[in-house]
This record gives sequence, structure tokens and C-alpha cells, in this order.
Amino acid sequence: MPVPAVKARPPMQLVIGGGVALVAAIFVLYPIFYLLQAAFAVGDPNVRPPEAYGLDNFARLPDYWEIMLNTLSVAFAATLMALVFGFLTAWILTRTNVPFRKTLEQMMAVPYYVTPLLGALAWSLLGAPESGFINQVWRAMGGTGALIDVTGAVGIAWVMALFEGSVAFVMISAVMRSMDPSLEEASQVIGAGRFRTMMKVTLPLVAPGVLGAAIYVFAEMLGSFTAALVLGTPSRFYVITTAIYQLVSQYPPRMPLAAAMGVSLFAVMFIMLFLYRRVVAGRSYVTVGGKAFRPRAMDVGAFRWVLFGICFLYVFLSVILPFATLIYASVQRLAVAFPAADNFTLEHYRTAFSLNAIRSAMGNSLVLGFFTATLGVAVTGLIAWLIQRSRLPGRGVLEYIVMFPQAVPRLVFAFGMMWAWLVFPIPIYGTIWLLLIAYVTVFLPLGVRTITGVLVQLDKSLEECGEMCGASWGYRLRTITMPLLRPGLLAAWLLIFIASVRELGASILLMGPNSKVITPAIVEAFFSSSSELTAAMALIQTVVIGLAILVLVPLIKRASQHGSSSA
Amino acid sequence: MTTTPHIDVEDLVVQYGPVPVVGPISFSVSAGEQLTLLGPSGCGKTTTLRAIAGLEKPVSGRIQIGGQVMYDGARGINIPAEQRGLSMVFQSYAIWPHMSVFENVAYGLRVRRKSGAEVRQRVGEALELVQMAGFADRMASQLSGGQQQRVALARACAFSPSVLLFDEPLSNLDAKLRGDMRVELRELQHRLGVTSLYVTHDLEEALAMSDVIIVMKGGHIEQNGSPEDIYNRPRTRFVADFVGSANLIAGRLEAASSQGSDVTLHTDDGVVIRGVAHGRKRGERATLSVRTVHFMLSDDAAIAAPNNWPVTVRRSIFLGDMRQIHVGWAGQEIIIRQTRGPEWREGQQARLSVEPEHCVLLEGD
Repeated sequence: MPVPAVKARPPMQLVIGGGVALVAAIFVLYPIFYLLQAAFAVGDPNVRPPEAYGLDNFARLPDYWEIMLNTLSVAFAATLMALVFGFLTAWILTRTNVPFRKTLEQMMAVPYYVTPLLGALAWSLLGAPESGFINQVWRAMGGTGALIDVTGAVGIAWVMALFEGSVAFVMISAVMRSMDPSLEEASQVIGAGRFRTMMKVTLPLVAPGVLGAAIYVFAEMLGSFTAALVLGTPSRFYVITTAIYQLVSQYPPRMPLAAAMGVSLFAVMFIMLFLYRRVVAGRSYVTVGGKAFRPRAMDVGAFRWVLFGICFLYVFLSVILPFATLIYASVQRLAVAFPAADNFTLEHYRTAFSLNAIRSAMGNSLVLGFFTATLGVAVTGLIAWLIQRSRLPGRGVLEYIVMFPQAVPRLVFAFGMMWAWLVFPIPIYGTIWLLLIAYVTVFLPLGVRTITGVLVQLDKSLEECGEMCGASWGYRLRTITMPLLRPGLLAAWLLIFIASVRELGASILLMGPNSKVITPAIVEAFFSSSSELTAAMALIQTVVIGLAILVLVPLIKRASQHGSSSA
Repeated sequence: MTTTPHIDVEDLVVQYGPVPVVGPISFSVSAGEQLTLLGPSGCGKTTTLRAIAGLEKPVSGRIQIGGQVMYDGARGINIPAEQRGLSMVFQSYAIWPHMSVFENVAYGLRVRRKSGAEVRQRVGEALELVQMAGFADRMASQLSGGQQQRVALARACAFSPSVLLFDEPLSNLDAKLRGDMRVELRELQHRLGVTSLYVTHDLEEALAMSDVIIVMKGGHIEQNGSPEDIYNRPRTRFVADFVGSANLIAGRLEAASSQGSDVTLHTDDGVVIRGVAHGRKRGERATLSVRTVHFMLSDDAAIAAPNNWPVTVRRSIFLGDMRQIHVGWAGQEIIIRQTRGPEWREGQQARLSVEPEHCVLLEGD
């Protein structure tokens, strides 16, 4: 007897999801393809597609051993410093009874928002060998020469560690927080002393997490650009990223060599991140259980004020001192360490606001940020859902592709984009559209990671129940998934918005004369005009971003609530 | 009564990657019947349920519901879950925290584009059914576990599905509430007359709620029968062991008893015990299963039943509702559970007896 079958409707998931996934994959892989092509092309660099392929460009790299050495020593020093800061502060804040722990914990996230650019500008005002405030004070006290110098390897590493190293703190404290205190208690009950427990139980348990953080931070530092650009370039101290920028922006540009450098850097970072995944995935110690516990805080007595001092010092060096310096410098005619009444002025702010280039750059950045964040949340939200929840084939591959930009420094990625879109039939090179594509692509990992973090906490059966009630995919997304994900979507929107408005590495290569954005404009000002004006511009940018967030967040909240309640 | 089964599963196979999790298994559920899949965790019972629901894609086999093919591996048919017209109660309840109780229950009706009046009426009825009528305007996040369970049930019933699927719906409730809900669920199921498929690892739940129980192990069906069948006449060692507590007695079958229903077993210590075969396959080596509650222990030395032996009490444990007594018998320990009788003491002499019909021959050795 033939049995009738219900007619299945066309799978919307496959059409829409597959489409978005495909576009994202093209945006990610297309530039990478052109980057590789440029790196392996030999012969006339102006002929495209290339006449022949070979390793000639890579063979020239050993001539630049000094740059490689600089890169390695800066990355190594920065990683070391970041780990020391991170480990100390993580241990203090998770395992001791340090006073004001909650406040300090919140303060630890702030340096990340200060950004390497502000940090580098501020520390160049503080620690430049001649004019640095600290060195001025040092000489006034009778010292000779420079007390500190932030234009060399150690100085650049110092700024990178302070402003880009907070991920070490986040990773290490996550490990320490997830450690079941009963593991240590078991050791003490058996009769081991506190020191023995520390050496035999605590350290081995946190070691894989610390190692993972070390590898991750080292990879980040290899690809770090901003601090080295601001601090190193004036004194001709180059690391690989600033060298690539130099090779691309000089006249005549040396694209093939830059591409070879970019590919090498990207290969090394890729290996590091692969190692990191191995270390984290291969961690055989189950320290993260489902049970909620607060790790036991060690009573350290009066020593806790010393520990408080250490945490405060970190916040002081990475937040308070840089901002104070920028504010102080921005209101002086000529930035000097010692105040003089006739030296104060608001002229730099007046200049900054009156410069048409700056006004349009800020405007462009805000508009771009808004659209990048909105588009980015829609795309990454859908992709995160497809990866985590759908039963579509190839979602594992999709995850690798969208997380790919994380392994490529934005500058190198932008180089690939520049090369790729120059030959694209539709002339979008040098327009704001290219920047939008670039931003959405490079912030795919940020959005996917943020939204996935919230999505995995959402019980799968909440959506499955909608399925069993007969709701279609689109209806379920609108009535169940999106409302429940709203905090995560909002967080992703904000993170992408902030990251876009402050983006430097990709923008500096891709912006055209009519599509200027603010952060590269600030860097240009730093190189071409005074550091006082630059300080004023950087502060204006920070305040404008803050104001934009204050205005936009309630608007988005309302819009998203309206969107879901109308269902 | 319809002659065709309401749910019909044929040679269903589900795999996670290369690992087979279920099957091939076949069974069917008649209209209005409650069938329970029972088994330990990892036996594939939930996967089977999810495959029927459409939440898991099988690799081969056939699923038919209400005469319509929902999945057919050979013909490449796989109807999405939302178009199968089933309903399901989830282990975690899956109550949507961002909606009120009313909106939760109304969801399936809104999907079906029912009019406002009809939605109100049927949500009201569904909430009435689970005694939650006063809670319609509450936010779902303000409910207790038991209340969430009831709302989940109301939501599953509100759009009058013809089949209800239950995935361990009571496992997150505390023991007392679980007992109450068990009775209520059974009543509800009878009142609605809906065909239901229930998954649990809890024996009592399965016994109390089902018309038919399927015991599963390693993705396969161990036994399919009524609760009485499963309990009184386990087919395999696994069922005897998993479904309640049983004493397993191994030995050699007497050749003369290999005909008819009665069997006689000689244990390795030479003790003779009589039992029944229930048509099971029999070899030379065999095992009998005897429920702990079917053994009787008495101090009356003059019992004249076929199976009775003098024994010594080794241990006596008070469990509240009953007493558990361990005795030495034929070189092994027999466990007896009694609700009445004296307080046995260690070392005391007693008489152990059991009806042959309670000594059930198992398949395999």
C-alpha cells in the first residue's frame, strides 16, 4: 500500500544560512588568496595576474633579520610582562582577600578600552628620551640622560603589555576561578602544608592555562601594530608589522616583499594559535566543573594592602597616568612636565574641531561603526547559530573560516584586501564601502565569539520546543532565539561598534582621500603635527565614542524590544 | 479502534558520526496507547524519541505516524519536526523565560494562526487541565519546578496534538512531587486519549504509567511487553536486573524437563529448583530469575511446597517500607524483601520457599 508523505517545505535555513555563510567565506578567503598570490608572484610586480610563481620574495627575507629580531624581542618581552602582570593580578583578585576586590576586578577591564593608541601616545609624552615628562623630571632632579626610553624594544613591549596584555589576566583568572577548591583542601586534609599544596597541586593545575595564555599573547604580540607604529617609527625601530606598512606606503611601494612578510607572519601566528588550541583542548585536568563555587580566598593579613598596591599600580600605569598625561598635554601650548600659567591653552581643541578632515573622519567613523556593528551582529548572529545549532553539513568548516581573521593581523589582512579589491570590476577601492566590508570581515571572530558565548548557555530544548510546537525556522528565530539572545547581541553590537570606530590596522591601508576615518587621522596628525594636538584629538575621539554609546544603546535596546514584541 | 498502528517504526538506525547509537529497531504504538521506552542512560531511548520527533536525523529505516511517512531512508523523505504535528514535553521543561505563562501555552496555537478568542479559550482549558488556571499572567521565570512542569504539559496539549512525546519529564522533580505527577500524568493521558511515547530510566515510573514497556539496551530492544510481563517474566538477564531487583540462579537444566512449560534446574552445588520457561529458548546451561519479593522466608518448618529449603539468615536490614534479608543458599547469597514477617536476626534458622511460577527462565545462559 503506498503511504502518503507530507510535503516538505523548501528549507529556508539552507537558502539563507548557506547564502550568508558563503558570502562570509568569500569575504574572508578572497583577500587571503590575493595575499598568497602576491607573496609567491615573481617577475614584474605590476603585471596581474602574475607571470610566474616562486619563492624569490621569501628568499629576500633574511636580509631583514634585524626586523625579525626586533619583532621577536618585542613580542617576547611584552608576553613576559603581560604574563607577570596577568598572573599576579589574577592570583591576587581570585585567591586572596585583597580589599576592594570587586572594584579592582572591574578596573582590570579598563586598559583594554584605553586602547594601544592612547596608551602609546600617552607613554610617548611620558617616556620619550628627550622630551618625556618623566625624563624632564629626572633631569630636573639632577639626573643625566634619560631615565626611561619607550622608543626601543623594551619600551614598546611595555606599552603593548599594558594595553594589549589584559587578555592574559582574563585567561589566567578564568583558570584560577574555575579550579575546584576541594582539590587543594584534599591535599591539606592529607597533611600537606600550604607551600607544598601550592607547589604540588595548585601550580600543576593552573600550568596548562598559563601556558595557553602565554602562547595566545605571544601570537597577539607578534601581530601587534599600533604601539610599534607610534613609538618605534620616529626612531626607525621597525617590527614586522610596521615594516610591512612602511613597504606598502613608501614610494615606490614594495608589494611582493610586504606580502612575503605578511604571509610569514600569518604562518607563524597560525601555528601559535594552533598550538594554543592544542594546549587548551588537550588539558586533561578537569578544572571546570558544572558546580558553582567561589575559590577559597587566602587570608594574607596586612600583606593584603601590599597586594592592593600592586593592583592599583597596574590601574594607575595603564589608565590614570595615561589619561592624566593626555589631558595635561592637550591643554598646553608646548607640552612640558612643569606647569606654567602662560603655557595653558584650549587652542588645540579649537584646532581639532575646526579641521574639516577631522570632522569628516570622525563622522565617517561613527557612521561606519554603526553600520558595521548592525550588519556584523546580523551576520555573526546567524553564523553563530548555524555553527552551534543547525544540522547543516559543513558547519565545522564554516567555524574555521569565520575565525580565520583572528590569526591574521588586521594590517596584513587589509593588505590582502587592497590587492584583491584593486582588481575587482566594481570600483570600491578607496571608498567607504571597502572599509565597511573590511570591518565586517575582520570583526567576524569578535562577533561570533561573543554571540556564541551566550548562545551555548541557552538550553537547546528552548528552541526545539518551538520546533515541536510547529513553528518555522524564521518564526522560532524571531520569537524565541533572538529575544533570549538579546543581551549577547547587544554586547556584540557594542564591542564591534567600539572596535570599528577605533580600528587602525586595516583602515590605515584601505582608507582613501575621500573616505578618511578617525584613528588613522590621529596617527597622521601625530607624525605630521604636534603631540599636543594629537592628544586633544585622541581625547575627543574617546569622549565622542562614549557619547555615541550613551545615545545609541537605549535606542538599540528599544528597537530590539519593539522588534520582538511585535511578533 | 484503527487497525493500523498510530506510530510505526521500522528498522530505524541512528548514528552519531560513525558510531551507531540506535538500532536497527522496530516497534509500533497503537492509537491512544501509552508506550514507554525504558533503559539506563546511553541506551538510545532518548535518541529514538528525538528521531521520531524529527529532532534527530536517522540514517536508515522508516517512521510512520498516523499513516503518513515522516521519515524514509530509502525514499529520502525526512519531514522537519515542525511539520510532523507532534508535541513534546522536555526534560528541562524548556519554558521560555521571556514570555508569560499564557504566551508559553499559546505558542503552538499562534503558530497555527488561531483567532484571539480561540487562543484564549484553549489556553484557558489547557491551564485548567493542569490546575494552573490562576497563573496565566505570571512570567514563566517566576514559577517553581513543579509549576514549570505543569505549564510545559499545558503547552504540549494546548494545540490538541494527536501524539505526545515525553522525554524524562519528571526526572528534575523531587521524589514526592514525582510520585504525585506520575498519577496525574496517567490520568491526563487517559482523559485526552492521546497516543503517547514516554522515555524514562525510572522503573516505577514506567510500570505506573504505561500500557506497553520497551526495555532498551545498547540501542536495541531487550523486551517489549506489558508492565506485568516485563516485571514478572523478564526475558533476559539484563531486564531481570534492570527492572527491579532479582536473584539470578545459574545451573544445569534437567534434560527430562526440556518439554512443556515447567523446567527443573540443578545448581552447581546440587540444589534443585523448579521454574517455568514461558516459551523461552533453552540450552543446557540456564539461569532462573527470582524477584526479591517473590521469595518467602518463614519460621514454619512444615511447608510442603515444591521449592523449599532450610537456610541461615546472614543479614537483616530495615528499609522502612520493607525489610531486606540476606540468606545463604546453594553457595550464593539470596536477597529477599518482605513487607511483613518477623524481624529476622543474623544466624537465625529459617525456611526459604518460592512458587515455581515465579522462577523464570532467562534466555542465554
